[in-house]
Amino acid sequence: MSDGQWSPSAGTGQIVVSGLTKQYKNVRAVDNLSFTVQPGRVTGFLGPNGAGKTTTLRMLLNLVTPTAGEATIGGHRYADLADPLRSVGAVLEASSAHKGRTGINHLRVICAAAGLPRQRADEALALVGLTPAANRKFKGYSLGMKQRLGIAAAMLGNPQVLILDEPANGLDPEGIRWMRGFLKGLAAEGRTVLVSSHLLSEMQLLADDVVIIAAGRLVRQGPVDQVIGSIAHGGRVRVRTPQAEELTAALREQSATVDADGHGALLVTGADAPTVGRVALAAKVELHELTTERPDLEGVFLELTAGKAEIR
Amino acid sequence: MNLVRSELLKIRTTSTWWLLGIGAFVATALAFAVNAWLAHTVLSGRGEEVGVSGAQASAPAQAAGLYTSGQYLGLLFVMLIGILMVTNEFFHQTATTTFLTTPRRTSVILGKLGAASLLGFGFWLATTVVDLIAGAAFLSLDGHGTQLGEWEVHRALLFNLLAYAIWTILGVGIGTLIPNQLGAVITAAVLYLVGTQVVQLLFFLLSNWLDSEAVVKWQVVWPAVASQVMISGEPSQFTPAWWVGALVLTGYAVVSGTAGVLITRRRDIA
Repeated sequence: MSDGQWSPSAGTGQIVVSGLTKQYKNVRAVDNLSFTVQPGRVTGFLGPNGAGKTTTLRMLLNLVTPTAGEATIGGHRYADLADPLRSVGAVLEASSAHKGRTGINHLRVICAAAGLPRQRADEALALVGLTPAANRKFKGYSLGMKQRLGIAAAMLGNPQVLILDEPANGLDPEGIRWMRGFLKGLAAEGRTVLVSSHLLSEMQLLADDVVIIAAGRLVRQGPVDQVIGSIAHGGRVRVRTPQAEELTAALREQSATVDADGHGALLVTGADAPTVGRVALAAKVELHELTTERPDLEGVFLELTAGKAEIR
Repeated sequence: MNLVRSELLKIRTTSTWWLLGIGAFVATALAFAVNAWLAHTVLSGRGEEVGVSGAQASAPAQAAGLYTSGQYLGLLFVMLIGILMVTNEFFHQTATTTFLTTPRRTSVILGKLGAASLLGFGFWLATTVVDLIAGAAFLSLDGHGTQLGEWEVHRALLFNLLAYAIWTILGVGIGTLIPNQLGAVITAAVLYLVGTQVVQLLFFLLSNWLDSEAVVKWQVVWPAVASQVMISGEPSQFTPAWWVGALVLTGYAVVSGTAGVLITRRRDIA
């Protein structure tokens, strides 16, 4: 940021969600949800549609009152923050500006309410590359421009914590790449970045950590690699050999399961790659390929949330 | 103070205010023409022809009417501005941004109420300046003097100001009670324009049925009637004293403002 007033020592910027619950008339949208989000990292907040992601973020930001539980940012509830915009920036929905107001005026209104200097509006607009459209009315903005304006609004107070709900929606590939670089840059400066999304391939490129929820409950949380690895551990090893029958027999002796993949390779479960290699060596079997099949985030996500994504 | 500034900026940066401003100006011009004709007729001694007699036929009373021309629709317009100040937030989904910027929602509503009363003042000032210039010129040319030294005129101007401020605040209250923009605007406009006649008719029927003329005075519980009672000053057989009207109107402003704060504090912004 140009003014550089923000420094990592300003606070921990940790987000702590504990026992958060929201009960609507017939639906428990969020059910005793607890997780933490660390500064200096991009955390992906994932879940099928209707999992309670948006409700959780809105409870975190004091827009929706929780039925039970609490959420804090840097140790404070959002409502108790002395200067919310200087601590937390949030991008919730792309369409949240008056249709007849220009982009720059939208930001000036926020600056006035937050007691921020007026030129912050121009700076934030420049930061997201929207200066040429400053004096155009919001109704003439494309979806991507609306997302950028939302990010500009979130950056007005140069906050330590950024919370974004589905920011990639409506962005073209160029816009998505810009967003990825932008958010990674903010995390690299030591800020906390929490991003909800259902675009899993994008999340795999962007996130350091993930929090996966389904049906309002926590399914898994941790670094992306670790979450993927937790599934891959019981995953498969692909092995290619001209002596398939000998290897199959030797592996089954080690109580591993072996199947043909239909393309001339064997798929082994119940033994990891080193074990398969050792068994092959002992059986004097020649190997042409030995790969651990690491599932991607999408595969892990679908496996973890299987059967939990039904319409509630 | 920041919140009041922000609310005023919200209004300045959209077309709502000048559309309603033009509306108020046109209403003022039309009302002035009618009132001027009325004043001319009454003050040239033909008040009976238009049904005006007694204290109402005096030069100060007619001047007071002339100097507050456009009030009837003007109050409607400032109420609509008050309503739009709240319902726009939901219609354009800016409530999220507003409450993220200021999580203390009571302050947000107080800011809106503050901005609303300033706007009411602005509308009053603009219409009054127009009325004063045109009215003073007309009355002088018609040979009655400007009447600007009369307490009755001062009183009308001051209470007109109070009415403008209160009706804008009432609008904010209505907006929080009915967050649906179209619903709130139509409800308020219909109640203001048609409701008053209906209420007056109901009280008239009620007084006939109960055989008591005093009952009619109770129509002051209706805000638009209370407003008229407060401004007109002169009690009649159908209306109580001006301060009853002022009290009722203030009561509505306080109740709707308080209800607005309480409702907004609890509302989930989805």
